[in-house]
Amino acid sequence: MSTKIVLKFFRSNRIYRPSEPVEGKIVVNSPSSISHHGIRLSVTGSVSLQVRGGSAGVIESFYGVVKPITIVNKSIEVKPPGKIGSGTTELPFTMVLKQIGEKSLGRFYETFHGTDVSIQYLFTVDIARGYLYKSLSATTEVIVESDKADVLERPVSPEMAIFCITQDTQRHPLLPEIKSGGFRVTGRISTLCSLLDPISGELTVETSAVPISSIDIHLLRVESVLVGEKIVTETSLIQTTQIADGDVCRNLTLPIYVILPRLLTCPSVFAGPFSIEFKVSIVISFQSELSKLHKKSDPRTPRLWLAMETLPLELVRTRRGDL
Amino acid sequence: MELKDRRLRSRTSGFRMEFRRRDYSAEEQGHVLRRSLSDHHPLLPPSPSFNNQVVDEKNGNNDFYDPLRGLNAEDSASVEEKDNNNSQVSSKEWTSFKRFLMQKFPVSKMISIASMSDVIIKSSASFRKSSESSHLEEVDDPQRISQEDVKVITGHEYVSRLHELKDEINRAWHAEDRVTALKLTIQVAKLLMDTSVLQFYPTLFVLATDVLDMLGDMVWKRIQQKAEFSEDGTFLCSLPEDFKTSDICSDAKETCNNWFCKVGSIRELLPRIYLELAIFPCWRFLLDKPQDSLQRLVMMARGVVDPLASTYCRLYMAHCARKLPLSDIGHLVTCVNDTKILLMRHLSAREDGHFSDKKRVLVSLMEPSIEYIMKCIFENTSQSQRQVDSVLLELGLGRNQEDLYGSSPCVSLVLHHLLKELPTEVIKSNFVGILHLIECSQDHYFDQCLNYRLLGFRLSESRSKLDIVYSVVDKVIQAVAQYDRLDQYLRVVDAYMDIVLQNQMDNHLKTILEGISKRACHKEIHEDELESLESILMKLLSHFTDLNDVLALDHFLEILDVMFGNPRSNINMHILSMATRTGYLHDLSTIQLLFEISQSLHDVIDFGSMKDDEYQQPLRLISRFVEMVDCGTEMEQHLMFLVECRGAFGSINELKETLVHSSNCLAIKALKDGRKHLTFVKSCIAFSEVTIPSVLEHVVQFNLYIETAEVALLGGLVSHSDGLVVSAISCLECFDLTDGSRTSIDAGGMLSSIQKLCSLLVMFPGNPDEGITRFPNSILSLINSKSWMTPRMKIRLFCGIILLLATLSQNKLPYYPYRAEITGNDLLFFGDPSYMHEIAALSECVLQNLISFIEQEPPKAAHGTMALEACNCIASAFVVCQDTLEVCWKLIEIGRLCLGADDRYLQSTIKYLKEQLPSSEKVPSCSNLIFA
Amino acid sequence: MVLVLALGDLHIPHRAPDLPAKFKSMLVPGKIQHIICTGNLSIKEVHDYLRTLCPDLHISRGEYDEDARYPETKTLTIGQFKLGLCHGHQVVPWGDLDSLAMLQRQLDVDILVTGHTHQFTAYKHEGGVVINPGSATGAYSNITYDVNPSFVLMDIDGLRVVVYVYELIDGEVKVDKIDFKKTTAPTHSAH
Repeated sequence: MSTKIVLKFFRSNRIYRPSEPVEGKIVVNSPSSISHHGIRLSVTGSVSLQVRGGSAGVIESFYGVVKPITIVNKSIEVKPPGKIGSGTTELPFTMVLKQIGEKSLGRFYETFHGTDVSIQYLFTVDIARGYLYKSLSATTEVIVESDKADVLERPVSPEMAIFCITQDTQRHPLLPEIKSGGFRVTGRISTLCSLLDPISGELTVETSAVPISSIDIHLLRVESVLVGEKIVTETSLIQTTQIADGDVCRNLTLPIYVILPRLLTCPSVFAGPFSIEFKVSIVISFQSELSKLHKKSDPRTPRLWLAMETLPLELVRTRRGDL
Repeated sequence: MELKDRRLRSRTSGFRMEFRRRDYSAEEQGHVLRRSLSDHHPLLPPSPSFNNQVVDEKNGNNDFYDPLRGLNAEDSASVEEKDNNNSQVSSKEWTSFKRFLMQKFPVSKMISIASMSDVIIKSSASFRKSSESSHLEEVDDPQRISQEDVKVITGHEYVSRLHELKDEINRAWHAEDRVTALKLTIQVAKLLMDTSVLQFYPTLFVLATDVLDMLGDMVWKRIQQKAEFSEDGTFLCSLPEDFKTSDICSDAKETCNNWFCKVGSIRELLPRIYLELAIFPCWRFLLDKPQDSLQRLVMMARGVVDPLASTYCRLYMAHCARKLPLSDIGHLVTCVNDTKILLMRHLSAREDGHFSDKKRVLVSLMEPSIEYIMKCIFENTSQSQRQVDSVLLELGLGRNQEDLYGSSPCVSLVLHHLLKELPTEVIKSNFVGILHLIECSQDHYFDQCLNYRLLGFRLSESRSKLDIVYSVVDKVIQAVAQYDRLDQYLRVVDAYMDIVLQNQMDNHLKTILEGISKRACHKEIHEDELESLESILMKLLSHFTDLNDVLALDHFLEILDVMFGNPRSNINMHILSMATRTGYLHDLSTIQLLFEISQSLHDVIDFGSMKDDEYQQPLRLISRFVEMVDCGTEMEQHLMFLVECRGAFGSINELKETLVHSSNCLAIKALKDGRKHLTFVKSCIAFSEVTIPSVLEHVVQFNLYIETAEVALLGGLVSHSDGLVVSAISCLECFDLTDGSRTSIDAGGMLSSIQKLCSLLVMFPGNPDEGITRFPNSILSLINSKSWMTPRMKIRLFCGIILLLATLSQNKLPYYPYRAEITGNDLLFFGDPSYMHEIAALSECVLQNLISFIEQEPPKAAHGTMALEACNCIASAFVVCQDTLEVCWKLIEIGRLCLGADDRYLQSTIKYLKEQLPSSEKVPSCSNLIFA
Repeated sequence: MVLVLALGDLHIPHRAPDLPAKFKSMLVPGKIQHIICTGNLSIKEVHDYLRTLCPDLHISRGEYDEDARYPETKTLTIGQFKLGLCHGHQVVPWGDLDSLAMLQRQLDVDILVTGHTHQFTAYKHEGGVVINPGSATGAYSNITYDVNPSFVLMDIDGLRVVVYVYELIDGEVKVDKIDFKKTTAPTHSAH
């Protein structure tokens, strides 16, 4: 049996604001007593950027990792060199990510796990044991949300966009029967939305000659990374939410209600080296024999049997209770 | 006769016993208890004034307990209690509703699932791909399936796989693997998207929602635990039943929020709704007013277009919403409205053949959901008019008559269940409008007649004003007059029968019967029509007290005639029981009709295959009918009727007994009328005599012979009576030969009947040619020859003969047949020494038989009682002299040995014996032994 | 005060269609505590009817009774009195006081109730009291068809019994009473 080391946080969801003390304990479970050269806890916050081509088009030339941006990097000694007895030992700790008055390396962006942009805050415990032994360590991610102070002070009201999707608003070719029969789908959807709230809105199929097979709301992220002089932008699908399954009744209002997934969303960011933006896309699939042949295709690809409308979505962090 | 005890024989051989003289009338006079006229007696009905008082007092008490005047505190307490029970009640209701669903739509053998989830296939090793030809008939919509990769498993396998999944989810959860539990539950919810096998969907729904409910409960408990316990497991507080979100710690809220986030990320609409519904009660941890979420879910469900899937989804919604302490029913009303739109859209297009049938099935599958939701709506609606009105308004059926009825077409199915659940008060004030609504809603897949029928039932329970009742019934009867089909016509009028009858709407009754007759005659009647006919005629029969009123109705008999089978028999039986309930039947045409009804009832009885209790009832009723016939002075006619019955119902054994009783009773009736009918009496007796041998049971036969003999005697027909007694005794003689197998011998009944014969013989004039003691001798030889004679029977019969002979020896007999002009033995043989001698000789012989028989018996308690009985008999029949006394003491000694000296029968016997002693006689020396 | 209804020999439906209406209207549920019936009801429906009057129903078997499970004799104790029940067709000769007294000794009862003769009688002898309630429907008997419907109601109160005799004569109910006391102290307590 080997020695086990675990980081435990008092907050089970591990969500912290930068100015809040992060409290927890290091739990060491060892069959025998261990002597060590000190136990240290460190925290690293960084923005990792990566470019995989995307919309820039010249894949080879841009592929690679862009130097990450460090937000925070500091450590404390939890225990000076000494010995840990056998059995379970618990070592409590407290650490504040952003001490008041302390000069930080970067802005404390919220945790975000994207394709090209990833913002992570990692706590690592290290038990140094000299040269003969491998040092023991454990790493755990905590989730950072914006500080109250950083939250927009101006009152934010949700903004809605009114949309109207018809055969004429489509910029891609449609099946002739769809084009000639025509359709009209109207509604409204959030374009400014608090992360705590769902994307809301409503949708009505007013007419459609060709039966509808499904209506979906796609949540998209748009990540842009500055590589040298160029900005490489990639749009990827975060989540699809079906709001109609089948040929819905005409003139019956359907609600749009999409809960924003944590970690995969964050407040829209426009930083110098990178930006994170979001979009919503309303996709109407018409019943068609053709669609059955392309089952696994990317839903964002314009197809003959699809009609769509894509709108930008700004996400903001609000205090609970706002909006 | 062999006697073991020589001593006893020596004594009895020299027996000279003398019958005790009796003066029956003097004894009666000496012992009779005097009666005096009584003014008051316990059965006197209470005087009216007293009665009123009691009623008043009762009313006073009722007032006192009037629940409406109860204390407020009590009221609120009881309401609270009711609320607590509410969720339990609803969960029980749900369980029984699920059972009902499964039973109504049983699982078919094979299930083809088009895009079947791997979750079902995974562990089901035996699944196979369909070879298109063999399983095609199981597929409801071949077009949809044909191109896809169809997998077929048996319904049983599918069900058991779902049970396994439930266990798996449960295990995963308890192994802290909640992610797996959720993932599997989502898979299960996804199964509900497949409605291709229509008939299987309700079962699938029940099984899948079981899983969902389980997950919902587990999530609820987990969050509740987080709210009640701190992270290290210490108990914080227990949540009150009506907790607020402010009572919930942020950690619990966070967990709860996470669950909704996870569920919200499901791509497909239907499983996403189901999962949110499963954990829907958890909204209470986050929101103080979760109803808004419910309204959103209702709206979301509009996106589910498949009518079956969306209807069942709404059903689950109604069920989950009941878990919350909500009084709001807006969501349910929207559910109904949306279903209505869906139904109208799906059903408006008329199609033929396969698709039309499919739609019919679809509607029947959707019905339970509508029914359940409708129930929920009105369960939560306090019955106030205002609230009901708003519900109606929201359902598109406003209060205002002009803009409501007719303008918006209503789906019959929805209307049906609305009508079922609407509070009586609302129905009561809206009959005309509702009627109009029914008239307007005529769709293809739900029979309009069912709504007319339901309206009828609601009308009868509403106790509405007469003018309303009249106008509704008028209109309905008019409307159904358009129906050509008998089944529809019957279904509707059946519901109005009670109203029509109770309100004496004779015109309508006439119309209805005419309508039925017009549609039913010259047509083959189907099973369900028969049932309706039975129900209608039953109501008719139950309404009238006098059968003749029913028979007088036009078309009644015609309608009865088109019926057959069990329903016909039931009606026949009802008619018979009605006819026999009110005393004798006099009217000849009624009798003839009932005779025919009995015949038709009799004809369908299959003695071979029916169980006893199945045909007992009709047989009893036929017997009862025969018994109740009374042709008054037309006695000849009555006898003819009996003869006819014997022919018609020959196979009914019980009836023959009835026929004999009836003809005997008829003879007595003739006798009461005077002696002029003697020939008729003879005919009756002859009829009885001929009928008795076909009765199966010998004891019954014997009793009937005796009864007939008694009647003959009352008619002064000595030789007839004589012959009947001979027949009775010969019936006993062949008793063990033929009767052994049928029933175990009814020894008690047989014994008492033979004892009865002894008493009858008291009145029989002796015939010197045949021997005066001919019949007692026959009985004696029976005792000694029949193996079924038990010791007890033998001793009692010996005693019986002795007592008979003692009676016959008297100068005046205790009784004679009334007005029969028969000379009894007392006059016939008065002072005739040979008569007395013959009697004494026989009694001596019987006595010897008796004593020697007792001596043989082993000493048991029963034996002791028998010895004492014999002793009492001897002491009563004979003058107590030295010889008698010796025999008696001997018997008493046996009694004492068997029963013990303390026995009360023994003591009372000794006491009696002492009283019988002439004053000069001393208690013999041997008796001292007993008293020592 | 305990009311015991004694009746028998109804012979329904063979000799009479039903109880006289005047009797039926007097016999209402709730008044009577016990019913003793000497037998010959004869059909089950009569049994059911009696049971509606009072569930504590005791019946001995007559020769025409449909239900063969009724016992030949039955005894029961009501208050201080022991009652015996027997139809009486098996008594030789019918209705004979000495023969009834024999039966009474055997059953060891204070009051013996028998029927069969269809004539109301009440006797007192050394061994106790013998009562015959007559025929409740006025059915014809073995020896006569001149029968008035009758039944008996016994009001047992301590050692005293008042016997009410209900007789239907020419369409009118005539009620007589007989009053007697048990002379000895409870004889059965010794055992």
